[in-house]
Amino acid sequence: MNRKPYSHFLVVLFLMGVLFSAVRASDSDYQEAVKALGAKDYATALRYLESAVGGDPDNVRYASDYRQAVIRSKDFDRSLQFFEKLVSAHPDSANVHLNFGFAYVDKIPVAGSITQVILANNALKEFTKAVELKESWIAYYTRGMSYLFWPKVFGRAAFGVADLKKAMEIQKSGPRRPYHVKTYIGLGDGYWKMDDSEKARSIWQEGLKEFPDNANLKARLTQQGDQLKATIEAGFDPSKRVDTDLRDLWANSNN
Amino acid sequence: MPGQPFRSVLILFIVLLVLESGIAYGAAGPGPEDRQNQRWFEDVTHKAGILSRHHTRRFNNPYAEIMQGYTKLGAAVAVADFDRDGFEDIFVTDSCATCKNHLYHNNGDFTFTDVAEKAGVANGNDEENASSGALWFDFNNDGFPDLLVVRFGHPILYLNLGNGKFRDVTKASGLDRYMNAIKAIAFDYDNDGYVDLFIGSYFQPINIFHPGTPRFFPESFETAKNGGGVTVFHNNKDGTFTDVTEISGIHTTGWTLDLGHGDANNDGFEDLYVANDFGTDRFYVNNGNGTFTDKTESAIGFDTKKGMNVDWGDFDNDGLLDIYVTNITDDYMREGNFLWHNNGNLTFTDISRETGTDDTGWGWAGKFFDYDNDGWLDLYVVNGWVSGGKESYVPDIFEMVTRPGVDFADARNWPPIGNKSLSGYQKKRLFHNENGHIFKDEAARHGLDSTKDGRGIAVADFDNDGRLDLFVTNADDEPFLYRNILPTGAHWIGFLLEGSKSNSAAVGAQIRLKIGKQTYLRYVNGGNGFASQSTNRVHFGLGKNTRIDAIEVRWPSGMKQNLPVLPVDHWYKLVEADTTTNIQPWEPKR
Repeated sequence: MNRKPYSHFLVVLFLMGVLFSAVRASDSDYQEAVKALGAKDYATALRYLESAVGGDPDNVRYASDYRQAVIRSKDFDRSLQFFEKLVSAHPDSANVHLNFGFAYVDKIPVAGSITQVILANNALKEFTKAVELKESWIAYYTRGMSYLFWPKVFGRAAFGVADLKKAMEIQKSGPRRPYHVKTYIGLGDGYWKMDDSEKARSIWQEGLKEFPDNANLKARLTQQGDQLKATIEAGFDPSKRVDTDLRDLWANSNN
Repeated sequence: MPGQPFRSVLILFIVLLVLESGIAYGAAGPGPEDRQNQRWFEDVTHKAGILSRHHTRRFNNPYAEIMQGYTKLGAAVAVADFDRDGFEDIFVTDSCATCKNHLYHNNGDFTFTDVAEKAGVANGNDEENASSGALWFDFNNDGFPDLLVVRFGHPILYLNLGNGKFRDVTKASGLDRYMNAIKAIAFDYDNDGYVDLFIGSYFQPINIFHPGTPRFFPESFETAKNGGGVTVFHNNKDGTFTDVTEISGIHTTGWTLDLGHGDANNDGFEDLYVANDFGTDRFYVNNGNGTFTDKTESAIGFDTKKGMNVDWGDFDNDGLLDIYVTNITDDYMREGNFLWHNNGNLTFTDISRETGTDDTGWGWAGKFFDYDNDGWLDLYVVNGWVSGGKESYVPDIFEMVTRPGVDFADARNWPPIGNKSLSGYQKKRLFHNENGHIFKDEAARHGLDSTKDGRGIAVADFDNDGRLDLFVTNADDEPFLYRNILPTGAHWIGFLLEGSKSNSAAVGAQIRLKIGKQTYLRYVNGGNGFASQSTNRVHFGLGKNTRIDAIEVRWPSGMKQNLPVLPVDHWYKLVEADTTTNIQPWEPKR
């Protein structure tokens, strides 16, 4: 009976060791991937990045860099298959669901118009799971923006606005980050899509107070009519690649 | 001098007449500012006696409610001077089971009389057949255009007897087979002197009036290969045709909506572009030996769009024929059209975005024509699928699309459209060509921005005044006849071609005009454009130019003919191998 606490301690130690070595292995894989990417050896880079993400699925950086490497290699189906398996293995990881959703989004510009709809719909499902698993700025912002891409007839702009308001609440409760300007732009665009131009302008104005040099906000506040419409709609053109690189999150964060 | 007052009145009258005609169409047109606001097209539909309207076929089978959303087709128009009186006539299809087709005879004064019954070409519809398209083509080279009516069902080939009447020769011709055809064009692909027939079909050849299976809808929205495709009929020169699809190299089973031919590489042989709905368009290069090679991948790449229309024209006057294809562009599906710029090496580059011609909504026919006679081919595009009630059909279709594992080929999985709208009430576009670089929409200015569900566009000069008029068909609605009343003094020249060694209508013949350093290329096409066939006359706008330096005709036979310098602002009739140097302006018989 005296050996029990000791054995528990050993088990915990063993598990920590496994975890640590997995993380360490992931980091080493990631470093190898970075080298391969530098040499534009995408096949090798993707292999190492998959290993890195698999070993540390909650690591936002590994998953994001993996998807960016996929975009460069254009092997979108490989990425979808990878995340599909990863989601099965880690159903409770918000980060995995989020990146699975992004993997769908990454494929949209190269897909046919109807496949784009299917991909967008699948992405939305994954973003919702990410929100449900862990409420965060990135989860709400991402799903909110995702709603705004849908044509008006679907009436999803209101859902987008609701999510972006949540993202706004989260960002206001913490230290200011440069990427927070995106919430002001997106939320304003959401109100504009709901035909509430007055509210849209007030959000953009509020954003400009926080980020006085932002060209996108300035453009929205100086333009009107068709010009403003063109500016906003250019940001929601499914044939253009949406920037799903999450490096801002770690480049401008203490986390 | 008792006659003097009378003579003065006469002179005054003549002066007034001259002045009036000068205002209507003379060199002394209005100033530039006035011109910018003027409307250059007049809707004369009713005034001209065009009183018919189109009726979509309603099916009576278990899938009827579903088919209703995907068969709003059949409003087609084809133009030719069937009685050779010098004025272009108009054949218009209807599609309901009891509806008649119409043959509008041009009375020569911009009025028309429906002579379809008298001519024997009215009966294109019954319980087992629905008219969907029409083509004039002189299959026996007797100089009188014959008429093919393509149908969901069996086509009808009418032989033009030359006395204002037609005889159904379908059975004898070898064309009597079930096809869900929607488009036909005719050109002489092997340059043997007779035009051959290319028929595009939408549904596969199952009886869609009584389908034995529910699996007859497109299997995919982007790569469907279970459509009707293209059938090629070789003209045997004896009034019969032989199906040569297999040996021709034209192998596609897409959901074909339009076909367009043109000589992409100026080698004297006509090439073919196939616009397929629900999938990949196809580009076939004519090998010059009676076969074609599929060059889709290298020429245009594999697209996943909804091709509706093909028209060829040299919009930038670089001596190479370019291609315009409409697709679907709406807020729920942003495909964009194709304006394929011909690179000169059997490859094309889509420059629709750069030129401003990419977004025409749910596009149907799109035609190149020079409406202001400035020497640059403009574009008119009609659009709109179903203009119904306020509710949108888009969420219904997307619900199906996003359902996992759904079998699209099974019609039962498709939601009925009911009274909902899908890309309805769209404004038509008239793109003015700004010197071959960009296009500017002038439809509203000229009153051509109707919101009806447009389908076909026929371009022709119905009053032989050198200004190109328009006939537009609309699904489930009245057509439009727009008279071109361009008031400026822009110059023009036009040609009616007659082959002798080449096919009689000279389909495929090219004319190149040289003015200074600029060369203008136009050609005779055999029916390009969705649900429509325009004039086979060759028209050139010349702008301010009153002198042409050189005129070269390249006949399909291979013969090249250089014409003497001709005065502008006239139509001319050219006969292949005619060595006459004293070519006089052509006038209609009446």
